[in-house]
Parts: sequence; structure tokens; C-alpha cells
Amino acid sequence: MPRYLVRRLGQAVLVVAGVIVLTFAIMRLVPGDPAVAFAGPKATPEELAAARLRFGLDDAIPVQLWNYIRDLVTGDWGTSLRTRQPVRDDLLLAFPASLELVGTALLLAIAVGIPVGVLAARYKTKFPDFGVRITSMLAVSVPVFWLALALQTVFASNLGWFPIAGEYDSALDTTSPLTLWTNITIVDALITGNWPIFTSTLEHLVLPAVVVAAYPTGVIAQMTRAALIEESGQDHARLERALGFGETSILTRFALRPALNPVLSLIALVFAYAIVNGFLVEAVFNWPGLGRYAVQSISNRDTPAIAGVTLLVAVVYVLANLVVDLLQGVVDPRARAR
Amino acid sequence: MRWHKRLLVAGVAGAVAMTASACAGGQVRGADRTPKPSATTSDSTVAATKANDATFVYAPNLDVVTDWDPATSYSNEIIAMSNIYEGLTRYNTQSQKPEPRLATEWTSAEGGKQWTFKLRQGVKFHTGASVDAEAAKKAIERTIKMNAGAAYIWGSVKTIETPDPATLKFTLKYAAPLDLIASSGYAAYIYDTAAADKLKDGKTDAGTGPYTIDTWQKGKETELTLKAYEDYWGGWKPEQYKKIAFRVTPEITTAWQLLQKGEVNFVERLNPQLFEQAGATQSVQTSQTPSFQNLLLLFNTATGPMKDVKIRQALQLALDYDGLIAALKGAGRKSTGLVPQGLIGYTANLEPKQDLAKAQELLAEAGYGRDLPELKLKMTYAQGDEDQKLLVTLLSSALKELNVSLEAKPMAWNAQWDQGKKQGQDIFVMYWYPDYADAYSWFLNVFRSADKPQFNLSYLKNAEIDKEIDALPQLTATDRFAAEQSYATLQKQIIQDQAAVAVPYVQTYQRALTADVQGYVDNPAYPNVVFFYDLKPAS
Repeated sequence: MPRYLVRRLGQAVLVVAGVIVLTFAIMRLVPGDPAVAFAGPKATPEELAAARLRFGLDDAIPVQLWNYIRDLVTGDWGTSLRTRQPVRDDLLLAFPASLELVGTALLLAIAVGIPVGVLAARYKTKFPDFGVRITSMLAVSVPVFWLALALQTVFASNLGWFPIAGEYDSALDTTSPLTLWTNITIVDALITGNWPIFTSTLEHLVLPAVVVAAYPTGVIAQMTRAALIEESGQDHARLERALGFGETSILTRFALRPALNPVLSLIALVFAYAIVNGFLVEAVFNWPGLGRYAVQSISNRDTPAIAGVTLLVAVVYVLANLVVDLLQGVVDPRARAR
Repeated sequence: MRWHKRLLVAGVAGAVAMTASACAGGQVRGADRTPKPSATTSDSTVAATKANDATFVYAPNLDVVTDWDPATSYSNEIIAMSNIYEGLTRYNTQSQKPEPRLATEWTSAEGGKQWTFKLRQGVKFHTGASVDAEAAKKAIERTIKMNAGAAYIWGSVKTIETPDPATLKFTLKYAAPLDLIASSGYAAYIYDTAAADKLKDGKTDAGTGPYTIDTWQKGKETELTLKAYEDYWGGWKPEQYKKIAFRVTPEITTAWQLLQKGEVNFVERLNPQLFEQAGATQSVQTSQTPSFQNLLLLFNTATGPMKDVKIRQALQLALDYDGLIAALKGAGRKSTGLVPQGLIGYTANLEPKQDLAKAQELLAEAGYGRDLPELKLKMTYAQGDEDQKLLVTLLSSALKELNVSLEAKPMAWNAQWDQGKKQGQDIFVMYWYPDYADAYSWFLNVFRSADKPQFNLSYLKNAEIDKEIDALPQLTATDRFAAEQSYATLQKQIIQDQAAVAVPYVQTYQRALTADVQGYVDNPAYPNVVFFYDLKPAS
């Protein structure tokens, strides 16, 4: 296991290093002077020159790359040209809310996707299977922005079942102030027993989490179904049938464990995808996460901030893959040997 | 241990580790500065019978504050800052004059090179310190020294003297309309310099305005809340709004739904479809006001085919101005000249018109057009701007009929500007707006000769025009009628004689607010600002 862990960590570091170089290259390939984003659209030549000097934009490209890597390693992710704050601080402020939304959505996707996949595999080619396949195909293919607007209009605006937007009712800041520990509102509300904010956040989470969960639920259900069908055709399943186990029992007691391997890999993939996909959902539901920060950074050509978001998403992606690989090692010892 | 138990243990361990790692200490969100709900109404200064305890909610589409320093602030925070801080004067678009704010009266002498402002008595900063001439002098001098944002507006100031605590005397290097400059929404705030170093984290402010910071939670949906400053020099009436909240809403459709439900009171811009819908919704009122921002098509007068004035004039005549205004569905109003209505220098008889026959004639004289060689032009415009895209579509189609092909390239501002400074296009499209209510910036920045052009992206070089531009500040400061005449002459020279620019439209502010709000007046000198102090709910 330690050798496996070291190998996987080494690979993760290489991927992150590649992303850093690529991000830097893209930042410098974008036409136009990045100093304008800092000095303002009506900046004087002197102001532009000062901004270029401050951010080392007149240095040779290899020098800039070296400085960029050196700063990153020492924990300095640069200064946002728009907010004029350290990018790392900005990200630490925005990321917990995104994690809250995407984490909830993924829990929802796993809680719904796996049982639904089992159901489809159990009743292969019958009505439940057909229903699950059609629904999951729709969930995967519907544009997330459209789905967000549609659910918001119907369930929040017209029916009034859920709040239109926001993370929780901001009036609660006055009546039930929240003590922050993790900066993830729902977790902080739970661990401090702040039930008004906890229930308000849950209410606000439903619609955006359902939208973000749509795609992961669809692919997890499809993958679970396919993996279970494959497993139920293996020799061990034939033996289990011969021993008198029912189909449901074979699927849930024997086939599900090996079938979860590809599903776990998929969850790691869709986690990072859901963060980026969630940017649009965050915009529709006023969710105060990375999406708002990323969108404003992009529209302002705030290259350090864009690079910060890219790097953060890449690190999350790599970490999620790493965690899943290690979990696979726990679930299936064969994975460690690969 | 069975596999699912191991998974469970791993999951719980991970969650505990994450929580533990973050548990360096708890901090209360918003509580430290948020007053109890009854605080506003129970206060004797602020409240009385029929006190307005409602919160007015503004829905901006971007972050509310990026810079809390009143000296350097030069961005969206103007909306909040204009309610927290005040300048010596405030511009009134209707009267086209600056009006008293912290200064109650002012005079100019020596041909606009000396200005004396009398300060309002009894005004206090939110820090508790008194506002006097010395404090105002320190604030302006600090802003000048910081030399960031729009600090350049004080460029004419040579010295500031304080002959007595109520008098502020400016001596200028050159004549300038200092009463207009002092009304700027940027860099003209009078603030308590003693507190200037403590402003960065948005926990406190150093202004004199009717509102003061209650809470600022960067990155949150309700990013900023303001509360009434009880000792405001203007006093308070029970019906005025004492609590203000800024709820960041990036999506227009979400803002519209929140407005309909009454969860927000003010949306700064909707799309044309939703704005039309808003006009027909009973619970919502709308407001349309021409802004001080117009679109300029700057023609390259220095190089390429457009060096020929006939081609530039032909292009001015080719654009379907009325068609464009109709397509904008209220988001733009036909311009007349360079100076928008509401500013000194607005000239009513310079409305552009499409005349394809005349355009064809001019092109033929220049050697292009139907049955003649094709003219190819390069144009750059703002990426992601739907209104400019509309302009490109209409202009391309009109020019096609004249055998002119337009290669229009949407670009990010910094890339477009970089290319423009190198004379890399025939037509440069950009918006222009003044930082304070003075038309001078269109002429000084966009049309005054420059060896290294910054915003003179028509590359116009004309000594006679330069001379007239240079005389504008003094005329504005001393002889308003002569200034109006000079602005009119200059616009005719630049638009008609030199044909250096086409001005298709002035942007219109289309606001939507809940029907129960009274007293809203849009002041284009302060873009997107709502002066909350002027509002009250309908009785």
C-alpha cells in the first residue's frame, strides 16, 4: 500500500505541475496587456507601466514562469487584478460554498444513482430499466443552465415551494448569527446546532443541488447498471444462482462490490466536472461560490484569478482521483496491484 | 473488516479530519456589527411614529465593493460609496449645475484659477470627528498624493488653503471648473484621513453621508448592508429607508424573479424582453433615463483607406441609425453630437441620418463603390457586447450594398486597446463616459492630438481643434454661454468637417424597481447609483 500511495502521489504531482505550466502559457498567450485589468480601462501610460512593474509583466517569459512557480510553492497564488486581494484568500472565501453545493449534489447523485442503477439492472429490458435509461439520458443531456432556470421558475417563482435564490435567508445573520469553523455553512450550522440557518440552507440547497446532481446521477445510474449487468454474467454469479440465491440478492450482495470500482472512478471524474458545471448553476441561484468569482474574473481578464481557479479545480480533480484510487484499493485489493 | 465498513470508517475519519483541521477557531458571521432588529426604530433621532423599518434591497450583478478607500475607489463600489461619502458638490442633471453638498456656496475668481468653497457647518464624519476646512484639505491632498483611480481629476490644483475653519481656497495651475470636478463620483469624497488606514476591511468608514457600513461579507450573496447614520447633517424623516442591503444577483432572470416577489427593490438593468414585461407588471415600476455613455465609431484618420475624408463621411452616412435604435428596443437613444443630454455642450441639431445615395456618391469620388474596386475595412469592437454586435450586423449589411466589405473582429478590451494604440484597424468601436459631469473628457482624451495615442484612436491631429479644446476648461469655469458655443463648434468640426467619428447612440439606463418605492430619480452623473436617502415607501 505505501508504494502504491507514493506512486499515485507522484503521478498527482506531475499532473498538477503540467497544469501549472499550461495555465501560465495560456495566461501569456491571451492577447492584450493584463495590466489594463489592474490599472483600469482608462489607465494612463504611467499607471500601466507601474502595474506591469508590480506584476513583473516586463520580465522575460521564463523568468515570469519561474517566479510564478516559486510563488505558488510558497503559497502565494498571486494578486487578483480585479479585487486586488491575494487570489488564495479569494478562493478560500468562495470555494467552501461551491464545495457545499457540489458535495450535496454528489451525495444526492450517489444516493439516487446507485439504487436506480441496481433497479435498472435487476429489471433489465423491462419497464423500470426503460424508465431509468430514458430519465438518466435526459438528466445527462439537458443543458444545466436551462434546467436551473426551469426549476427556479416552476418550483420557486410559480409554486413558491423553495426560495428563488441565495444560500440561506440573510435575515438570520441578525437573529441567529452563525459561528464559522469550516466556512461551509451547512456543516458549521450542523456542528454548532444553529438550526434556523441549517434548515434555511437545506431549503436553499434543494433546487441548485438537484440541478448540479442531474448529470452525475444520470451517469452513475448508467454506469452502475452496465457494471452490474456485466458482473451478473460472470462465473461467480452463475455459481450463486446454482446455490439458490435470488437475482436481487446476487446483484446487491455479490455483484455490487466489484461493480462499484468503475463507479468510484466515475464519481471522481464527475466531481471536478460538477464544480465547473456548477458555475452556471451558482449564477442562476446567486450561490456565493467559485462560479461568481470565476465569471467576474473571466469578464475582467483577471489572469491571476483565472489561473487560480483553474489550478484549484485541477488540484481538486487530482485529489478526488487520488482519494478514489485509494478507496478502490480498500474496496478491491486487486487495484493495488495494478 | 468488511469492505463497506472500511469505507464507512474512511469516510467518517475524513470528515472528522476535515472538521478538525478547520477548527482553528470559530468566528461569527455578520453578528458583530448587525444591530438588533428593533434598534433602528427605537432610536429617538431616527425613528418616530410610522417609522420605516423595511430594508431597501439593491440587486447589483457584480461584486459590490472591491476597494474601500475613498481616495482610490474607481469601480462598482460607487453605488455604495455615494451613499456613505459625500463631496463638496453634487451634479444635478436637470439644472446642469453642481449643487451644494458639503459646500454650501462657492465662487471662482481670476478667470477660473481660484476657487473658494464655504463648508457646511455642524457636519460630522461617521468617526465622530468634525468636518472643517482642514479635514477637507487633508482628504483632497491624500487623494492627490495616492494618485490612483480617478485622482487625476485634481490635476489642476496647485495649492489648497484654509483661511478659516469654514473656508477652503483652491489655487489652480490652470483654469478649470472645480465645482464640477468636486461633484465627481470618484476621488472627490471628503473623508476623515485619520481613519483612512482602517478602511480596508470594510468594517468601518470615514464618510459624512447618510449611511454607514453595517456589515460587509465579501463574496456572500448579501455582500453589504448599510444602516442610517443617526447624526447625518440632513436629519432623518420617519418614512426614509434606514436599512439598505446589496444582494448580488449575476443573472438577469433571477433578478427579475426576485423583483417580482418583492425580495429585492431595485434592479439596475434587465434585458429588453424582461424590461418590456416589467413595464406591464403591476407590482413593478420602470425608469428610463439617457446615460452619459455613448458609443463612438472612431475612424482612422491617419492611415489606410479611411485617411480619405470622403470615405469617412460615406461611412457616417451608411449606418442605419433609426434601424439600430429600433433594434436596441429602448436600450439606446439616438445621439446628437458627441455630448450627451444633461451635460454642458449638448448640441441639439447634430442628429445623424442614413443617406445611402450620398454615401455611394462619396465612395465613388474616392474611387470605390458599386462597379468600382471593392473597399475592405477592418473594425474592432467589444467582445460579448450584444448592442455592438447589432451595430456590426446593420453596418455590414448597409456597406455590402455599397461594395464595401467589413471585417469586424470582437475583442477583449485590453487586446482591442493594444491594437488600437498601434493603429491596427480602420474603425475602432468603444464607449466613452466622463468620470465627472463635464463633456471636456470626450475632447481632451478622444480627439486632442497625441504623439502616442491613448484614447485618440481616430488619430486626429489638428492644431486648431487642439487650441479650442484647451480653451474649454476656462470657458466652462467662467463663461458658460461661450463654453456651449465652443462645444457646438468643436462637434461640428470633428463630426462634420473631419468626419473622425460616428456616434450612433447614447445608452439608456433601464431600471426596474418595486412599485411601492417613491422618490427615485436616476442621475447619470453617478452611474447605477441610487441615492437611498431620497427614497421612501408609498404610503
